[in-house]
Amino acid sequence: MDKIKKLLAEQRSLKAQFNSRRHFLKDCTLGLGGLALGSFLNSCSSGSSKIPAYTTDRSLNPMAAMPAPYLPKVKSVIYLHMVGAPSQLELFDYKPELAKLHNQPCPPSLLDSKKFAFIQGTPNMLGPQATFKREGETGNWVSNHLPHFKKVIDEVAFLKAVHTDQFNHGPAQMLMHTGSPRNGRPSIGSWVTYGLGSENNNLPGFVVLTSGGTPDAGKSVWGSGFLPSVYQGVQCRSKGDPVLYLKDPKGVSRNLKKKVLTSINNINFKEYQKFGDPEVLTRINQYEMAYRMQVSVPKVMDIDKEPDSIKEMYGVSPGKEAFANNCLLARKMVEQGVRFVQLYDWGWDSHGASPSGALDTGFVKKCKETDRPIAALILDLKQRGLLDETLIVWGGEFGRTPMWENRLGIQNSPGRDHQGDAFTMWMAGGGIKKGAVHGKTDEIGYTGIEGRVSVHDIQATILHLLGFDHEQFTYEFQGRPFRLTDVEGHVINEILA
Amino acid sequence: MVLRDKILWFFAGALLLVTLLFLGIKPNEEVDFATDVKPILNKHCISCHGGVKKNGGFSVLFESQALGLTESGKPAIIPGSARKSELIQRLHHTDPELRMPYQKTPLSVDEIKILTDWIDQGAKWGTHWAYLPVEKIELPKVTTVFEEKNFIINSIDHFIAARMADKKLLPNFPAPKNIIARRLAFDITGLPPDPDLFQSFVGNKITYENYVDSLFTSTAYGEKWASWWLDLARYADTMGFEKDPGRTIWHYRDWVIKALNRDLPYDQFTIEQLAGDLLPDPSVDQLIATAFHRNTMNNDEGGTDDEEYRVAAVIDRVNTTFDVWQSTTMSCVQCHSHPYDPFRHKEYYNVMAFFNNTRDEDISDESPNVIDYKPEERQKINNVLDWVSTHADARQEDLFKGFILFEEPNYAAHHFEVIDNAFVSGPNFGLRKGGATMIKNVNTMGQPKLYLKFVGRSNRSKLVFRKNGINGEIIGEFKISKNHKNRQGQLITSIDISKETEVFDLYVQLQTQDNTLEKEHVLVRWIAFMPELPGKGKPGYVKMDKNLSEVLNIKGDLTPVMVENPEHMKRKTHVFDRGNWMVKKEEVKPGVPLTLNPWKERWEHNRLGFAQWLVDDKNPLTARTLVNRVWYQIFGKGLVSTLEDMGTMADPPSHPALLDWLSYEFMHSMNWSVKKLIKTLLMSATYRQSSTVSQEKLAVDANNLFYARGPRLRLTAEEIRDQALHVSGLLSDKMYGPGVMPPQPDGIWEHVYLGNLWKTSEGDDRYRRGIYTYLKRTSPYPSMITFDAGSREVCLVRRSPTNTPLQALVTMNDPVYLEAAMQLAIAHEDQESKAAIIEMYQKATLRKVDEDKLKYLLGLYEEAKSTFENNPEQLEDFFGLGQFTEVKTASLAIIANAIMNLDEFLTHG
Repeated sequence: MDKIKKLLAEQRSLKAQFNSRRHFLKDCTLGLGGLALGSFLNSCSSGSSKIPAYTTDRSLNPMAAMPAPYLPKVKSVIYLHMVGAPSQLELFDYKPELAKLHNQPCPPSLLDSKKFAFIQGTPNMLGPQATFKREGETGNWVSNHLPHFKKVIDEVAFLKAVHTDQFNHGPAQMLMHTGSPRNGRPSIGSWVTYGLGSENNNLPGFVVLTSGGTPDAGKSVWGSGFLPSVYQGVQCRSKGDPVLYLKDPKGVSRNLKKKVLTSINNINFKEYQKFGDPEVLTRINQYEMAYRMQVSVPKVMDIDKEPDSIKEMYGVSPGKEAFANNCLLARKMVEQGVRFVQLYDWGWDSHGASPSGALDTGFVKKCKETDRPIAALILDLKQRGLLDETLIVWGGEFGRTPMWENRLGIQNSPGRDHQGDAFTMWMAGGGIKKGAVHGKTDEIGYTGIEGRVSVHDIQATILHLLGFDHEQFTYEFQGRPFRLTDVEGHVINEILA
Repeated sequence: MVLRDKILWFFAGALLLVTLLFLGIKPNEEVDFATDVKPILNKHCISCHGGVKKNGGFSVLFESQALGLTESGKPAIIPGSARKSELIQRLHHTDPELRMPYQKTPLSVDEIKILTDWIDQGAKWGTHWAYLPVEKIELPKVTTVFEEKNFIINSIDHFIAARMADKKLLPNFPAPKNIIARRLAFDITGLPPDPDLFQSFVGNKITYENYVDSLFTSTAYGEKWASWWLDLARYADTMGFEKDPGRTIWHYRDWVIKALNRDLPYDQFTIEQLAGDLLPDPSVDQLIATAFHRNTMNNDEGGTDDEEYRVAAVIDRVNTTFDVWQSTTMSCVQCHSHPYDPFRHKEYYNVMAFFNNTRDEDISDESPNVIDYKPEERQKINNVLDWVSTHADARQEDLFKGFILFEEPNYAAHHFEVIDNAFVSGPNFGLRKGGATMIKNVNTMGQPKLYLKFVGRSNRSKLVFRKNGINGEIIGEFKISKNHKNRQGQLITSIDISKETEVFDLYVQLQTQDNTLEKEHVLVRWIAFMPELPGKGKPGYVKMDKNLSEVLNIKGDLTPVMVENPEHMKRKTHVFDRGNWMVKKEEVKPGVPLTLNPWKERWEHNRLGFAQWLVDDKNPLTARTLVNRVWYQIFGKGLVSTLEDMGTMADPPSHPALLDWLSYEFMHSMNWSVKKLIKTLLMSATYRQSSTVSQEKLAVDANNLFYARGPRLRLTAEEIRDQALHVSGLLSDKMYGPGVMPPQPDGIWEHVYLGNLWKTSEGDDRYRRGIYTYLKRTSPYPSMITFDAGSREVCLVRRSPTNTPLQALVTMNDPVYLEAAMQLAIAHEDQESKAAIIEMYQKATLRKVDEDKLKYLLGLYEEAKSTFENNPEQLEDFFGLGQFTEVKTASLAIIANAIMNLDEFLTHG
């Protein structure tokens, strides 16, 4: 027994040494040359490795890449979240019967024991505010609001009957991204980077890009919860420093900064020699990574240097905060090995109480802003051969009612209230069955009648494609194991290739 | 028996003996349930035969279940006969369908032997160590080598030395005086020491103990240790959820700092926070202490169900209470019996019943709140209460006191339903012309006064209160007056109503002659029923009645607090089916888990009784938990390494006797004094050791489980910031008050529909200690979060220290650290450069700089100097401080910035 343990331990430490060497070899070419930690440890030269056996990849670098427990279908995820919850009834879920009920009072049977955020009393029904056509070889339905998307519709698998038990933005967004409606749990991007690390040590492993504003639930939707803070999403911003405190102070040139870092690391290495604390080695490594990040992040965030054809394809507006820019950035990031890119686009809460939130004005504008870049993202990844190793997820935090919202008893412009019983999401990319449609709603798109899937099912599926069994992927906190999908979740095999 | 048989038996016996010897198993050694058997059951059996699943009707969680009948109609364990016990038979079975554990690796021979012996010896059940009461412990004997090395300074060292000797380890030398002085100062005050005090200690003018005692007298102690407690208390300056609006609860943070500084004994500290409101005649401080459990999140997003989030808050209080005081994962028991610890599903709800009867209901105004009264206001309140006590009984006085202080008990707007042309929104309901609302099951207790808190927008409207229907009997009318334009102008006033002795449905109707006002004519926050001020007709009555009205309308800083429901508003507590609050099962009464200490008759069955139960010296977990966590703060790991959990799946203590010795002494000889406990740790030779580590020691004990070297911890988020400000002379010593907003990058708080902006504090408030930094749950101060401070949404037992590139970016580039570096440079710009560098290093690290380190710093200084001399334009707006900087100062600032990034600066030595 003990012998086996010993052998295992030896094997682990050999592997750690191998991995550390591998990382150093990879990083030495990019790093600070003379001051690289690797050089302290002779691992870049032909000398034997002196990395102490108790250090592992993860103790030197918490973002070190780790193999997935099972064979993964994809390496990275781009998650497009339309904040505010887009109406499925104006985009993908075609309901001719609902048109017939337009402006008729809602039958009481649909309101019994239902809770709404804003509907009070008896609202009227609201017919689809769009026209629909079958598109692509698969002939799946899509509305006139998405003229670009229809060109890539065959790449996509639809989930038409997603449901959530939350009908307020904050909790529903939390549930979608952390598996729990209440704050305090790690987000899916944090789980994934905790489990897999990052392929690129010069960029954050989990990047968040926002357009229009922060989600209602705030930054907790990309928080690391109880996981170490290194796994939280790093918001790369269009204004100011792309990553907080990334820019060197005024008056400090790159060259001088390099010397500052060299001195810090040299002195820290002396400290290591004196105290023998392996944490000091980790610190030296982190300072090197910080230095490299200062170069790599602005580079990846710069879309100006992209060819005009690409800029046009996405419809970007350089220098501004725009969803189109973020889609292009997402492609650049996964290309460079960023593990999880999370996009949030704000402004989809179409209650009809104001023009910006009406289905005939604000909503149409949101569709225009996102339609072209999303299609471009799929095509661009495809032409680079990246679509097969990337998963794209599109969705909101819930759906919208077939009823016309009557906030405080007043019917405004066409708008719909929150509704969690049935809404549409789609996925595309590696491991996804192209053109699949799973799930079906009733005649007015109110309730799922076939193939209902839950938020936890979506999460289980994303984890599955990355090579995890969501039931085994746990973290100990407050004395018990936690997982993203809590005690729920089934992989949605119907949309897997 | 023939000879041949005898020989055969002899050989068989010999073979058995040899086999047993070969296996190295001694027969019939007494098996201990808790240490030998329970770990095997937990590891192999309990996931299918425990608190969640009971396959085959068999569970090994409780004795009664383990020895009871299973689905087969027979017990699986027959005490005294392993051979007849199905449990043992199944372990040996050859049929894979029957062999246990099902479809998993079989138990080892040793494990089966332990279970077999245990059953043969009578299957005696035992108690997990952490559930046994804490007993007095004798000090272990110490070998002379430790005495010779002067390692035995206090009792802790006896225990540590004994374990070290087992492992053939020897302690490190004591850390040099300057190093230990800095370590102590951070561990006690979270700051570097005062220079004079440091010099007195290093210069041998005062003893080690004098030095420790002096540090403890500093109020910085409370500020440092409050961070630890506020993580547990999930204290933040916002409500959490969605818009995450601000809340005023900093009085609680200040209460914690003060309580720690005056060393309020931990038992009392506990009682005041859990049940200060239920103490006899509680002080405002004791009320503010109860904000501990008002730190739960509050959801004011439009359309959310307040009852759902009230229940969520109560559940969080139960879980947090067990996380904070009992190292028990009670949250498991919310949905089912505990999977492996002896807590029953129902017991969760027994505990919940203690917490389920406070007045707070997830209303966005966070009521009930207590006002931070000014002394003259307090006097006026006392006058009214004195009047009541003179003219009525104590019960009436309590009633008036509760109503004046908390506006409770009331019926809040969110309980009302819309009948017509009205709305319920946020904390109010509004009535438009002809509008009506109703509330079910109102109990006025026969009181003659109806109070309401409202904003009036019309002078020509009235509210009509009716009984049991929109055309029901009128019980009172209230003429609305236009009191204020905005919602802040809430007014509390009263009308007379008819005496109602039965429970009824109350209808509120708006009647108006004002047809022009389309909007609501009135917003109502709550209604309440009260007696008249007693003593009617007595001299001074009219004035006192006016005083009552005035004190009810005092405005001031609010702190949300706990207030218990009156008898007629008590909620029933039910078991939730599988933890789902929508599906209620049987009703339960307040009670505590049977596994833990027994309930004493003298305790009331309320939160106060519960708090007393928690700090009873028979409670096995409270002292052990606290000791373990304080130990973690000082040594960077727990005596039980699973800091969150001391249950049966927890790691066994590394030093069980030490844990119990400290726990016992903490309750008895130290009288629950946290300062004394910390001091005991700091006085030990164990703590005083140097933290250097040899490769040999690392190989034997990489994680320092046996404490053969001192701790070397990275400073906390607050400490790193405070230290930078301190060594540069910027740190403000101002204490208390609302959260402050030191500089943070633009665009961090960018919530779309929230006018709440980060307004950078001015003057002293820019440089306050980290504990005072405003904490917005959905967007905490960036540099704090980077250094592992939490967002305080839920109870956090420990921060997990990380080491990341983003941290390097903070200390290198964050303007806060640049300003500190510049200030440090300016303080030394008049010195010769080498002397300046030596002194800056010394000031920052309290060490003399080594020659080779100095060489690097001097080299960097020369590089910086020549860079700036050749490129003077770089100095125009150096460090973004908006002014020209001299070459020398700038070069020194580069050095200061580098020093503030050194490992010796970021760790506590």
